[in-house]
Amino acid sequence: MSALGGAAAGGEGINPMGSAIGIVVLIIAVAITAIMAPAALGAIIGVIIGGLLIGFGVHFVPVGGAPAAMGQAPGIATGVAMLAAGAGLAGLFGGAWAAANPAFGIAIVIAAGAVGGGLMMAITCLMVNIIYVFGMGIPSASGKVDKDPITGDSQPEYKSQGTEGHGLPFISYVGGVIGGLLGGAGGTLIYYELLQVYSAALPALFNAEAAEVLPVAVSLAGIFAIGMFLVNAVLAAYNITGTIEGPHDPKFKRFPRAIIGCAVASAVCGLFAILIVVV
Amino acid sequence: MESILLGVGVTALAGALATVAGAAEDTESNIGSQGDPNSQVQLAPQMGYIHRIYNKAVSGEPPAYGLWVTIGAGVAWAFMVTGMNPVLAIVIASALAIFVQGAYATTAYLGRTASLNKFEQPVYIDLLKSVTTVTMAHAFVAVFTTVSMCYLLNAALGHPFPLALLGIVWGIALGAAGSATGNPFYGKERQYQSQKFGAGVPISASGNIVRYAEAGQRSSLDNGWFTGKLGGPASGVCFGLIVFLELWRTVLFEEIAGGWGAIIAGVLIILVFMIIDRYVEVWARKNYGPYVKAEEATA
Repeated sequence: MSALGGAAAGGEGINPMGSAIGIVVLIIAVAITAIMAPAALGAIIGVIIGGLLIGFGVHFVPVGGAPAAMGQAPGIATGVAMLAAGAGLAGLFGGAWAAANPAFGIAIVIAAGAVGGGLMMAITCLMVNIIYVFGMGIPSASGKVDKDPITGDSQPEYKSQGTEGHGLPFISYVGGVIGGLLGGAGGTLIYYELLQVYSAALPALFNAEAAEVLPVAVSLAGIFAIGMFLVNAVLAAYNITGTIEGPHDPKFKRFPRAIIGCAVASAVCGLFAILIVVV
Repeated sequence: MESILLGVGVTALAGALATVAGAAEDTESNIGSQGDPNSQVQLAPQMGYIHRIYNKAVSGEPPAYGLWVTIGAGVAWAFMVTGMNPVLAIVIASALAIFVQGAYATTAYLGRTASLNKFEQPVYIDLLKSVTTVTMAHAFVAVFTTVSMCYLLNAALGHPFPLALLGIVWGIALGAAGSATGNPFYGKERQYQSQKFGAGVPISASGNIVRYAEAGQRSSLDNGWFTGKLGGPASGVCFGLIVFLELWRTVLFEEIAGGWGAIIAGVLIILVFMIIDRYVEVWARKNYGPYVKAEEATA
C-alpha cells in the first residue's frame, strides 16, 4: 500500500531464518572484538544497545510524509529517517558537549543527549500543530484510533472527509518526544563508547600525548556516531514503510524486527569502527 | 559571572542566526519545491495538469542541507586554517557551497522535469533561469547563518565538535525542522488553495495543484511571498527555539547539581511545550468543532 498508511503487503512477523542469521552475525562481530580488542568488548555492547535505542525510538516518531504536508494523514510532514536523524543529532550535540566535561559520568552524558533529542522533537511537534491549527484551520485527528489513548479525545468526527486524519494528536506528540529521547540517548551512547575506545587507543597509535589526539578522537567518534545513527534510522524507516502515527499505530508493533536488524547492523558497524584503531 | 554573560549573549546570537536560517531554508525549499509536497508537483502532469512550478527534490531537505552546510563549514574551516579572517572565510565558503546548490538545483530541475516528457510537461528555460538564482540567494542566507552559528558554538561556546561536524549535525537538524514545520503550509494552503480552508485535502484531489495566479500561470517565484506569511517565519521560530533553548539550558544550568541542572531544565522545558501543545489542540477542537459535510444549497 502507499504512503497513506494502509495495510502492509506481507512481512509483518519476524523471519526466523533471517533473525537467526542476523544473531549469528552479531555474535561473530562481538567475538572478533573480544579476540582482537578485548578492552573494547564493553564498547561494542554499548554501541549495539545504542543502535537498538535508535531503532526503537524511530518507531515512536509520528511521520506523515507528503500526505501530511497536504493534511491527508496525521504526523509530521517529512521522512521517518530524516526527522529521527534530525532529533537524534540534536541530542548528540548536547551529549557530546556533556561528554567534553571530565566531571560528568556516563549517566549525565546519556541523559543530556536524550533531553537534547526530546527537546528538538517537543519544539518541532508544537510548531507543526501551530501551523495546522492557525495556518490551515485544521484540528488534530487520528485515522488509526477512535480515541486518543492518553487524553481520551474522540477522533473520527474531527477527521476531514476523504483523508486519513491530519495534525498531530496528543498521543503522537508524546510519541515524538519519546522517540527524540530514545534517539538522542542511543546516538550519544554510541558516541560515548567510541570516544572511550579512541581516547585510549589513539595516543599509542600516533605516539602522541592524549590531549593532542583528543580532537581526532572526538571527530572520529562523532563521524561514526552520525553514520551509525543514519544506518539505524534508515533501517527502522524501511521497517515502517512510509508513514506512522506513533505508538498507537498498528505499524508500531513491527518494532521487534527493527530491533534485531539494528542490533546486527550496529554490531558490524561498531566492529569496523573499533578495528580501525586496533588493527 | 562574566563567562555566563558571554555565554548567554552568544546563545542569543546563535538563536537569532538559527531563526533567520530556518526562515530562509523554508522559503528556499518552497520556491524550489523541495519539501514533501513536491510529490504533488511531480504527480500533477501525470494527472493531466501541466504546470510552471519548479521541482528540484532529488533528496529530502535534511540531507540536502546537511550537504550544503557541511561544505560551507568545511571550506570555511580550511580557509581559517590558512589564516583567513573567520567572517571572510565563512562568507566565501558559503558562497562556494551555494554554487554546489545551484548546480544541484539546475540538474535536479532538468532531470525531474525531463522525466515527465511523456506526460507532455515542458522544461521552461525562463523558469530555470529565474527560479534557480532566487533559490540560490535564499540558500546562501540559510547556509551562511547556519555556518556562522556553528562557528559561534565551536569558537565561543567551546563545543568539542569541529566546524564541519557541527555543519553536518545542524545542517540536517535545520532541514528536518524546516521541512517538518513549513511544508504543510506550502503543501496544503499553497498548492491546494482551490480546496476548502479548514479541512484536509481529500486523497482524490492528489495532483490537482493550483496552477494559475491572479494573472497568467503561476510560477514558483510567488511561493516565496506566500511562504513569508507564515511557513517561513514558523520554521525560523522552530529552529531558533531548538538552538536557543538547547544552548541556553546548558550554558546556564550545566554547573548546577553536578550536571543534572541542565537535564532537569530540559525536561521542564519539554513539559511546558507539551502543555502549550495540549492547549492549542483543545483550542482548535473547541473553536473549529467537528467536521461538517458540505450541505447542498437549497433554493
